[in-house]
Amino acid sequence: MSLTVRPITAAEHLAFIEKQPSVSFLQTPSWARVKTEWRSESVGWFDDLQGGALVGAALVLHRPVPKLERFTLAYLPEGPSIDWSGDLAPWLEPLASYLKKNGAFGIRIGPPVTTATWSAAQVKDGIADDTVQRLGQLTPTHRDAIGARVVSQLRAAGWKLQSPEDGFGAGQPQYNFVIPLAHEDGTPKTEDEVLKGMNQLWRRNIKKSAKMGVEVTVASPTNPANGDFEGDLSAFHDLYVHTAQRDHFTPRQRSYFSTMFWAMSSEDPDRIKLFLARHEGDLVAATILVRVGQHAWYSYGASSTEKRDVRGSNALQWAMIQDAMAAGATTYDLRGITPTLSTDDSHVGLIQFKVGTGGQAVEYAGEWDLPLNKPIYTAFDVYMKRR
Amino acid sequence: MPLKLTVDSDRWRKHVQAFAEATPGLVPVAKGNGYGLTLRKLAHQTEWLNELGTGVDTLAVGTYNEVWEVATRFSGSIYVLTPWRPYSPDINPEIADRVIHTISRPEDLPLLLERQPNPRVILELVTSMRRHGMTPSDLWPTSAIAHERARFEGVTMHFGLDGGSLAEVRAQMDAVVGAEATTVWVSHLSANELAQLRASYGDVIFRPRVGTGLWLGDRGALTVTATVEDVHPLERGYSYGYRGRNAMRAGHLVVASGGTAHGIGLEAPLGDTHLRSRALAVARGGLDAMGQSRSPYTLDGKALWFAEPPHMQESMLMLPSGARVPEVGEELEVRVRYTATSFDEIILDS
Repeated sequence: MSLTVRPITAAEHLAFIEKQPSVSFLQTPSWARVKTEWRSESVGWFDDLQGGALVGAALVLHRPVPKLERFTLAYLPEGPSIDWSGDLAPWLEPLASYLKKNGAFGIRIGPPVTTATWSAAQVKDGIADDTVQRLGQLTPTHRDAIGARVVSQLRAAGWKLQSPEDGFGAGQPQYNFVIPLAHEDGTPKTEDEVLKGMNQLWRRNIKKSAKMGVEVTVASPTNPANGDFEGDLSAFHDLYVHTAQRDHFTPRQRSYFSTMFWAMSSEDPDRIKLFLARHEGDLVAATILVRVGQHAWYSYGASSTEKRDVRGSNALQWAMIQDAMAAGATTYDLRGITPTLSTDDSHVGLIQFKVGTGGQAVEYAGEWDLPLNKPIYTAFDVYMKRR
Repeated sequence: MPLKLTVDSDRWRKHVQAFAEATPGLVPVAKGNGYGLTLRKLAHQTEWLNELGTGVDTLAVGTYNEVWEVATRFSGSIYVLTPWRPYSPDINPEIADRVIHTISRPEDLPLLLERQPNPRVILELVTSMRRHGMTPSDLWPTSAIAHERARFEGVTMHFGLDGGSLAEVRAQMDAVVGAEATTVWVSHLSANELAQLRASYGDVIFRPRVGTGLWLGDRGALTVTATVEDVHPLERGYSYGYRGRNAMRAGHLVVASGGTAHGIGLEAPLGDTHLRSRALAVARGGLDAMGQSRSPYTLDGKALWFAEPPHMQESMLMLPSGARVPEVGEELEVRVRYTATSFDEIILDS
């Protein structure tokens, strides 16, 4: 194997992604157009021994650092998309030298490989057990040899793990909660099987929302048959701002979502969908579903403070799961959880909500940095820690 | 009269049993001089532990030359700590199935497979100690071969006397998981370190190898004695010994059993690196040069001084005037380093 890294067009990149079973949406060319504040590029790995075939790809976000305009941190969120199963040096070394030549003082990657999974029951028992503070204290139901080799190789090659020990950091979460939509042998699960995996409360709430007449609609900018998308997006955003005030987080601008929907939909009309739940005309919950190939993500959610008893959020989750299943997805991803299982932790409620869906907690390799210019990287590291 | 080790068998066995019961997955180590107790004795004792139902099913020996001696006395698996090399001796086919080989270089496994089909192997991972062992990138392809063509018994790692730092152990665990090993053989990890590892890696079996703590953990159960073979009064200025030294003051010369052949007077370098202990060693060296150094022999609880360096089978000790003069045939207690001492006689008291 002799690999070269060089820039590729968005079209080449997209064509590569479409051949993969699963690539993070943060690694699609359209994501570059969402992250407008950063310069970005698509790069590809070409195998010179295979007649120059494109064998890997990445979206690189060049993150500038204040006062160091010439240098950037090359950020590959949840990427790159390469063969992680073998020796990584032939893949990562040409990437590093390409990026260094192009002004990067460091690289940050998030290998899309899992290292361990825990069942919902284990996580639930872990929360109930006072002696268990962290997910890592529980023996996983499955440990991934390839993931372990990735971590071991990165560490040996001088990469530094960035993912925080506890809680959410600035980057992508290392621990996610997912619902497998297929059995281990790859055969798709039925809706009944997925429902049976959920706890009683979830099943009851899904049923209840239907009985109370909650209506779910799906909107997307590329499908005008679904009605007034801009109006729906505004409705979502109003509810999202309301949720942010209630739950004390900083909301994003409406324009961010607008850019996200238009950029991602133009890449693939099925990439991103807005789900809305209404009860007697009142919007009670709204969520965003993203899908790349066989992987679907619940990515943003909003809910009203009124009419919580009609269970709009449960109705939307179930509708998104059904949509993902219909599209042939094998994984429904509820995104990040913190690895802390202590009941004093403020995030434990979020974990408990996700655990109710059945599914499993998944540990990824985490985000890793390779300094390319040590003094500048160190300065950056200090700056980030003081921020 | 011999240099003698007296073992309070009841007390010693009680300790060994308690230690085994408190150490899940224990792998006793019997190597070298058997910690002064002989390999034979340790093999018998391990068999006894196994019969007690402590789960001690494997005994570790240092080298291939030690295998046979324990194999006839212990019926379980014998794990050879020294890595297998192409020049290692063949194993007697009668016991080949009980022997577990350590593979520490990728090139050795194919050669062992030629010599013995389907051997039991443990793969050694290099640690910060950097003695033997493979890097993770050598370990994984080797483990793939071991899974396919051998009986893969796990991964071993050796840490220094201070144990591994938990961070290092965790890093090593990624290499272990990468090798799809389910058993990890470790040395020198504290009970706390082991407990933490076991909590996080409940899907992995940890097998701590222990020698000193198991066999010599209760020093009170062991007594080493030498016999006074001769006593001579000494006036100031008298000459004595191989080198015809002159006595600097009056006293008695005591000739006792135990010499360099037993390991008396031979010191293994101290593992200690503290400045104070180094200074002490230098001071001791100065006394050595004058032919005066503290001996391991004690009389009435007090250390005696060597009159001259120990001989092959006996030592000459200086007794200052005024001290009680021991009788010929009387026993002196001796403090020894067990791993470097061979005894003429081991007595089991019970």
